[in-house]
Amino acid sequence: MNCHLRFSNRELSVGRILRLALPLLSVVATAAPPIHAQEPAQQAPRQQQVPAPSPPTATQAPPLVHLGPLVVLDPAHGGTDTGARGAAGAVEKDVVLMFARAIRAELDRQGFRVVLTRNDDSDPSYDDRAAIANAYGDAVLISLHVSSTGTAATARSYYYRFSNSFAQASNASSTPSGLTPWEEAQRPFADTSHRLADALQLQLAQAFAGSPAVSVSYAVRDLRSVAAPAVAVEVSSVSVSDAAALARMAGPLAAAVARGLAAFRPPAATPAPQGAK
Amino acid sequence: MPRNLRIAFAILCAAVLVGLISLHGLNGRIERLGEQQNSEEQARRELRAPAISTSSDVKSKAKIFWAAGGDATAPVEIEMELSAVPVQRAKQVLHELIANPPTPQQRTLPADTTLAGFYILSDGTAIADFSDELSSEMPSGILSEEIAVECIARTLESNVPSLQRLKILIHGQEVETLAGHVDLTGFFDLNPPAPAQSAPVAGAQ
Repeated sequence: MNCHLRFSNRELSVGRILRLALPLLSVVATAAPPIHAQEPAQQAPRQQQVPAPSPPTATQAPPLVHLGPLVVLDPAHGGTDTGARGAAGAVEKDVVLMFARAIRAELDRQGFRVVLTRNDDSDPSYDDRAAIANAYGDAVLISLHVSSTGTAATARSYYYRFSNSFAQASNASSTPSGLTPWEEAQRPFADTSHRLADALQLQLAQAFAGSPAVSVSYAVRDLRSVAAPAVAVEVSSVSVSDAAALARMAGPLAAAVARGLAAFRPPAATPAPQGAK
Repeated sequence: MPRNLRIAFAILCAAVLVGLISLHGLNGRIERLGEQQNSEEQARRELRAPAISTSSDVKSKAKIFWAAGGDATAPVEIEMELSAVPVQRAKQVLHELIANPPTPQQRTLPADTTLAGFYILSDGTAIADFSDELSSEMPSGILSEEIAVECIARTLESNVPSLQRLKILIHGQEVETLAGHVDLTGFFDLNPPAPAQSAPVAGAQ
């Protein structure tokens, strides 16, 4: 309503109003998740977490909208699940939330659309986190972790690896409906997740010396039910003697993730499995 | 301040002081009791653990995977009594993996972990059932859990070639994750026919 009055007061031409409003409408249309059953407590914060683009004015240029996918940042753990704890006082659930906020700020600055699976001390289940990413047609999920071991000040990106024998079993039990089982939602995205993980790892290896040159495939639970390209990024470690060392990694981590995402382009034709939504 | 009020206040302060002192003592006793229970439980587990030896045991070299610094794992050749029976052989190498790392830094599984059961199905599926400690005392993180599972899988793979895949149970149950990260609802491939994709870090299956 305010936006409408402002436009009418400024007596803008119809063409200019359309030119300013269209990017805003397209962002709202693509960022709005499809309606599905969800607890109100989950739904409310999600609406707050979707970055609302500032309304265009006569003096402000329309917001830059990145053409890449919507980025779902998933700070792991939360609530009573603290994750790893270091002797110097570093607690994984707090560190990853700090990382997520730093990455979101960097991605916002570059015009990406960003959603957080949690922006407080809540602890959504694995499936709730996956459902947030699955609600969007064009998203990538990055799950953030801090390890309790490993070489300090390094980072690794993971993509999900299904067991070969599990693949045989699931192929045998596939139904004629073609629906993808929830626990198999990540399988159609294995290749794009691998590409995303490699794109991120390339940047992480440059930002943090000693990090592996390529990504790692492993059965990381957070990723299994995500019907979109999904990776986990784990930073080492809560065992640092100075907890502030982890805070200092936030900036380089955010920059590396932003560069990795900019280098990554998911194929437009990747279909979302029907059964996973 | 009236005299009665001062007396009541002094009594209250004394009561709080006595309460705090006894609470501190109580806390110490609870901690000591907990430690005692832990060590007793550990001793009991060691006593109850069946001797893993068979008539077919011969001294031979086993490859046991332990941490090798940073993010890596590496095999260490150990000369030990090994059974010709695959189930017993698997139990022997897993016991070695848990109980006898060359150095504390090379340990990848919690020291209190025990192998409650081990079975091999006819299709080559190995089912390893570990005690709760494998989950509850595991350092949290993808890397530490990945290294733990890799050490179990690669140790089994190297010493029992007939195994095709591994299922890990905790206390007889299927659990969702090892300690919050690595998915234990599926299987881990053992002795794959050909390497699928390059994954240079220790974690790659």
